[in-house]
Amino acid sequence: MTLNDKIYKWLDDRFKLSELLPPIVKHPAPLNVVSNPLYCLGGTAFLCFLILVITGIFLAMYYKPTPAEAYKSVEHIMTAVPMGSLIRSVHHWAANTMIAAVMLHMMRIYFMGAYKKPRELNWVVGISLLLITTTFGFSGYLLPWDQLAFWATKIGTGIAGSIPVIGGYISLILVGGNDIGAETLTRFFAIHVMILPIAIATLLGLHFMMVRIQGISGRL
Amino acid sequence: MALIEVEKHEVEEEQKPEPVRVRGLPFFPHFLLREVVVMCLIAGGLIMLASIYPAGLLKPADPFDTPSPIYPEWYFLYVFGFLKFWTWDLGPIPAKMIGVTVPMVLWYGLLILVPFIDRNPSSDIRKRKVAVTLGVIVLIGILYFTYFSIVHH
Ligand code: HEM
Repeated sequence: MTLNDKIYKWLDDRFKLSELLPPIVKHPAPLNVVSNPLYCLGGTAFLCFLILVITGIFLAMYYKPTPAEAYKSVEHIMTAVPMGSLIRSVHHWAANTMIAAVMLHMMRIYFMGAYKKPRELNWVVGISLLLITTTFGFSGYLLPWDQLAFWATKIGTGIAGSIPVIGGYISLILVGGNDIGAETLTRFFAIHVMILPIAIATLLGLHFMMVRIQGISGRL
Repeated sequence: MALIEVEKHEVEEEQKPEPVRVRGLPFFPHFLLREVVVMCLIAGGLIMLASIYPAGLLKPADPFDTPSPIYPEWYFLYVFGFLKFWTWDLGPIPAKMIGVTVPMVLWYGLLILVPFIDRNPSSDIRKRKVAVTLGVIVLIGILYFTYFSIVHH
């Protein structure tokens, strides 16, 4: 018995690996999923999300969400922290790629009619994921606290604020006062690193569970 | 993603009295290897992009100095584009209200309802002429408003 066998047996005795693994390991991936790269888009979005979580955690170790410190801390990340510039830039590119992948994924679902019965609710969950993903982008945009961040957020919250009926509340909740300032920055930070990650993790769980229960549409 | 697809497959097969053999790539090691290769390519691509075009940082925020032009992220450009494009009041409804409501509230409302509006059960693209045509029109519209927001700055 090799060491590998021993470890396997030890785990098997406790977790019934020999029952759990074969269905995962042995079963073929359907040919249309294997041969059509359009089916990769959801997975690409998910991979980007994982990269964002990892790089985001590193950024959060150096970032300081106050008007006095935010810009300086990002500058510090870009110039002084080892690999800091790479980590922030990968975060930036993974974010943009994720949004592009989510949009293309949605277009594949739409044009292939993959939202039809029984997958209606997964489409609804998908649209919520799209909203969350773009809100991630919007809230992250303010954090560096540079000219672009400040003014784009000012205009963005202004537009959201002029939505009839609910706009006033949205802008009050987002801005936390009359003008973009310290309150806004801490709010956007909390939204970006706490609220949205929890929301997206929950919805991704639902999304993947539904795909698992219902299967990929249009299989042979 | 591979895990999800393949595991599901198993569930479906179990319900049938005789497992149907589906032609495909065995998950382990072939499919998994391919997944890992694709993931490495994407990760490599991101690192390359990040090294060639690092994330930018302008001057510190200054509430008293409005820069120009101010661009939002590219995926919000179409909202700005539509807001600039739509200059017509509709009866008592001011143009600006339409300009913000259509690309956000109405657009997402319609999107969420897609499976409930489109009751055509076919997923054959040739039998879905209306849905596909509408989809293409909306896509061209979004691209156009994105373009509009850049040109009319
Ligand atoms: C964070 C964003 C998202 C992630 C990570 C994600 C991930 C995935 C993955 C991995 C699959 C398996 C099949 C594939 O990759 O094509 C899938 C399927 C699906 N997704 Fe998404 N998705 C996201 C957003 C969306 C959006 C915006 C929509 C549509 C509005 C959507 C609707 C669906 C539907 C209906 C399926 C089932 C497709 C089928 O059975 O053929 N998802 N998603």
